[in-house]
Amino acid sequence: MPNTYRTNVEIDWCPGCGDFGILNALTLALQELKIPNEKVALTGGIGCSSKIPHYVNVYAYHTLHGRSLAQAQAIKIANPELEVIAAAGDGDALGIGTQHFVAAGRRNVDLTYLIFDNGVYGLTKGQASPTLPYGESPKSLQVENIKDPVNPIFLALASGYTFVARSYSYNIKHLKDTIIRAIKHKGLALVDIMQPCVTYNNINTKEYYDARLYDLQKEGWDPVAKNEDEYKQKLGQATIKSLEWGDKIPMGVFIEYQKETYDERLSRLLMNYKSKNFVTLPIHENGKPVNDITPLIEELI
Amino acid sequence: MQMRKGFTMKDLNLMVAGPQGSGINFTSDTFSKVMARLGYYVFSNAELFSTIKGEHSYFRVRVSDELIRSYSKRVDILIALDSKSIILHKDEVDNNGFIITEEKPLDSRFIQVEYNKILQNVANKYNKNLSELSVMKNTIALAVVGKIASIPKDAIQKVISENFAKRPNIAELNNAVVDETYSITKIERSITLPKGKSFGKMLINTAEAVAIGKIAAGLRFQSYYPITPASDESQYLEGVMSKYNVIVEQTEDEIAAINMAIAAANTGLRAATSTSGPGFSLMVEALSYAGMTETPVVIFYYQRAGPSTGMPTRHEQGDLKFAISAGHGEFPRIVIAPGDHEEAFYDAFESFNLAEKYQLPVIVMLDKSMAMSNYTIPKFDTSKLKIDRGKLILEGEVSNYKRYAFTEDGISPRTVPGVKNGMFTIAGDEHEEDGHIFSEDPDNRIRMMDKRMGKLKKVLSEIPTDMKYKFYGNGENLIISWGSPKGAILDAIRERPEYSYLQIRLLHPFPVDEVKPFAKYKRIVTVEQNYSGQLADILKEDAGIDVNSRIVKFNGRPIAFEELIEGLDRSKTERRVVLTYA
Repeated sequence: MPNTYRTNVEIDWCPGCGDFGILNALTLALQELKIPNEKVALTGGIGCSSKIPHYVNVYAYHTLHGRSLAQAQAIKIANPELEVIAAAGDGDALGIGTQHFVAAGRRNVDLTYLIFDNGVYGLTKGQASPTLPYGESPKSLQVENIKDPVNPIFLALASGYTFVARSYSYNIKHLKDTIIRAIKHKGLALVDIMQPCVTYNNINTKEYYDARLYDLQKEGWDPVAKNEDEYKQKLGQATIKSLEWGDKIPMGVFIEYQKETYDERLSRLLMNYKSKNFVTLPIHENGKPVNDITPLIEELI
Repeated sequence: MQMRKGFTMKDLNLMVAGPQGSGINFTSDTFSKVMARLGYYVFSNAELFSTIKGEHSYFRVRVSDELIRSYSKRVDILIALDSKSIILHKDEVDNNGFIITEEKPLDSRFIQVEYNKILQNVANKYNKNLSELSVMKNTIALAVVGKIASIPKDAIQKVISENFAKRPNIAELNNAVVDETYSITKIERSITLPKGKSFGKMLINTAEAVAIGKIAAGLRFQSYYPITPASDESQYLEGVMSKYNVIVEQTEDEIAAINMAIAAANTGLRAATSTSGPGFSLMVEALSYAGMTETPVVIFYYQRAGPSTGMPTRHEQGDLKFAISAGHGEFPRIVIAPGDHEEAFYDAFESFNLAEKYQLPVIVMLDKSMAMSNYTIPKFDTSKLKIDRGKLILEGEVSNYKRYAFTEDGISPRTVPGVKNGMFTIAGDEHEEDGHIFSEDPDNRIRMMDKRMGKLKKVLSEIPTDMKYKFYGNGENLIISWGSPKGAILDAIRERPEYSYLQIRLLHPFPVDEVKPFAKYKRIVTVEQNYSGQLADILKEDAGIDVNSRIVKFNGRPIAFEELIEGLDRSKTERRVVLTYA
């Protein structure tokens, strides 16, 4: 079956780039879920990874550096019928866009957030990104990295993300299955994807991850919390797991908790939000405004 | 001091002064409403500190049976709710005026009001503690004004009942306070105003006018981050969001606010954000993105005194040059400036048509004095409002679709998610017709720049004249201005008919061809509320007009019409006139 979710645009990532695995896994996931192309919105920020919207045959929003998640949330809020996927690099998500990362946890908009996590700013030639471990100095750095890294899993758990997972761009099956699970999750789903940069990061390589990543689920971790009490309890355990980094790095789903999504909450403030699509709900009839402002005028007299 | 006993005056100027948070706005708002209901024109404005409680603040209300559009320096009645207010404002009060206070009279203008006695009497009657009624001092002051100005008691009580419609017990107590005040307060002199004769007007500020204009326009998405003086508009929208299907989203910062509005616009909703200078500064990168991606987003820019945090609750028009040039690279935008609440409504409505028709960002320039002044205007005429969404495809199916297709008029059809085979690629990188970014072809770059920048010419040739400028008067000298000084200018040129007035409404693209012919006026002065005279610079740069004098005011307070008259007189000999009234 041809992959109908790929555009015919030539891909300009470096040969061997971890991004290819993510593109394949994402389009395979869409294919498997059979979501119509026109019902999918995919956003990207700025950077190598964030060019992915050009390669996927859906509604593609190539936004600004750091703003992929902010725009993705607005797209879903504007039209809850869409399947919304936000892509971002680690610099996008956890450097310039950190405020959105945290604020998004408060909303729990039903979308999937993919972080292409390689520890460097590839498109500007390999500076340290917020996830580069302390003391690591890939060949592209001029000086040693003296900052501690942000832990995306830990931060997502703390911010209230209702689905938090880590996957790996060279394990396409795991990545595809994780993306499918993230898309199916009702609520904000983060997949932090280990994605080696073959050009600038000679430390966190395929060999590095192959030797360290282990599957949480194969080790028996059940991330699903069925109620708030269970969520609080599992959140603590998931947080401890999120701190594992070194000889063993966990991947898989850390937490999965179904709670009220942002569109459900919004429908409490907007009586027609659930029953009508605000995009197609007409605002005029042959140019004449549908909204009658007479009551608002009368209030001021 | 010679006092007149009972006289008729053309306009009445009330000042309510006291500590912020003591409810002084209740007194001025209620008085404004009462007088508007009685058929008067009302103009009120607020001077507040950037605090919530305690600091000295004051509200002015000017009332007349004739059209008024600005405030007056004269104070006829001062309600002084603390001794600081007496010290600060007693010299502004007219010799024949009144100072309503609890304290010992210093001269014959003073009326000492027995606040505690009135409250105690009402408390006894309703079996309440005096402390429960202490907040009603404002009601007493209001009733004293009512008695001085010969206002029927029930006109006040009706408005109070409406204000507290949801709390009838509070309404009853307040109205009992009005009764008691009318009955025991002795007034030796009174004022009579000519009968009000203009009924059915709205008492409104720009935040409300803009919000209602947006609702008429079919706004579906408003994002904002709290900032003075812009948030009142978003809060108004929150109050009616359910009824009019408007998503109002309070974001984590202004960067998110503008990005969310842009994304909502590109998903098919009419979308806007409202902010002030500091917030707009954060939005600038995304403004450039909106220009590049041809996104119809509207920014409502409520200026306040800068730079930096400046004076957050004070007035200024210091951001004109910033608004017309903010953003890296060159891209088209429309910047319009209403000069009063009526224009604010119609411009708010029309801004969405412009944004969608030309697929570009639109900035509507407003300011603190507009946002925080309530005055009477005729009801909005909705009969001529017409929504034009431009080349927008919301439903169905398309074929061979390209978001940035070259077309004869430079505007490409716009799809939204959900339209079959309408998949777009929106990109802030330079792109080809299909939105992809990889060729960086120099010829394509030229065509795309021409496509985007060409919209400005189209805007200039299509936008109606009264959106470009308005002209008033028939004097041989000319005032050129933009935005909110309009009211003071119109009131001032009644006294100085040798001046005409050109109000520039479209600030970008600048209507050079329309403005140039005005160079023929004998003497040209600009009036602006900023330090340098930014419009005067633009007139020189764009239209080659060298103004004779720049009248500026930048002390954070709006222009009183009397000081503008003095300023016009001074401009005959001074190249730069700085107005300083506060």
